[in-house]
Amino acid sequence: MINKDSHGSFITWYKKILILILGGLLITILYHISEFTVIPEISSHYIHHGVEETGAVNLVTGILFDYRAFDTLGEATVILSAAAALAFLLPKRRTPLLQSEFTIIVYQIISLILPVMAIMGVYLIIFGHLSPGGGFTGGVVLATIPILLTITYGISYTEQKVPPSYKSLVENVGALMFLIAGFMGILRGSTFLASGRSGISLGEAGTLISAGIIPHLNIIVGLKVGAGLSTIFNSLIKEE
Amino acid sequence: MLPAYITTGILIILGIYTILIKENLIKIVIGINIIESALILLLISAGFRPGAAAPILNQELEQVVDPLPQALALTAIVISASTTAFLLAIIIKIHKRYGTCSIHEIKNLRG
Repeated sequence: MINKDSHGSFITWYKKILILILGGLLITILYHISEFTVIPEISSHYIHHGVEETGAVNLVTGILFDYRAFDTLGEATVILSAAAALAFLLPKRRTPLLQSEFTIIVYQIISLILPVMAIMGVYLIIFGHLSPGGGFTGGVVLATIPILLTITYGISYTEQKVPPSYKSLVENVGALMFLIAGFMGILRGSTFLASGRSGISLGEAGTLISAGIIPHLNIIVGLKVGAGLSTIFNSLIKEE
Repeated sequence: MLPAYITTGILIILGIYTILIKENLIKIVIGINIIESALILLLISAGFRPGAAAPILNQELEQVVDPLPQALALTAIVISASTTAFLLAIIIKIHKRYGTCSIHEIKNLRG
């Protein structure tokens, strides 16, 4: 049971005073840094030279997949290792945690919106260097398709439609392709994951086929994130 | 600008309060998520410029917001989703082993 003696309440008061002190400090610091509105030098370099150096009109994608592509490799590895750890920690039985029957309206609407979501996810991935979106966003949209199928139709139906071995294959091949795309930069005589710097033809900025290896990395990361997130969800929902 | 920073501070304090005071493990994970969302709000408001457009340069724009914090926020979102999933998996294991999610009861069970 909950310990309600004088010692426990003393600890609670101690914690509350600590929170008040921390909060005061935090508000003071944030108040002072809110006056700091100078654009840093590196950001103004990105804004003024980003399009001609990366070929991507969307500057956020240009930063993620060209200037800081190594960060993005680490980010993709975090999802890969989270999916692997969850599949290792959690049971592999098929009984789902949620067992609820819906009316026919839910099933019909789900089967109506799934194609729309697939198109939206693929669009966000492929046009990631031209419009808002990108590999991570589109991958999350793609991952909601098996998640919605699992919630409505049950986990055995989903695993029959989208087998887990297929998803882990996509995830692993995606990680490998990201590394291969990185080593292509070295083969072209530049650094790891170099796109604009390595002298690859960038194309005309603003067209679909442009921006060097950025669209390839977008597609790789999109497939990888979609497979990884749906693996994580399916691992979390199983029960012994 | 200032309201966004103050909101960030209030959200971080709420998150710390949730982590330190609540005894349900799920609520502690919710507290961690509140702090992560507050940090994303801080990153986005750090790149904000009044009257500036989104950093997509497919037309001539006078001023765009800072794209670097947005890229970092994307990284933060991915990391936060992964850590949340991992914490929830550990909570499922704890609940299976001890039959409870309360940190006080788990502490009493130990000794």
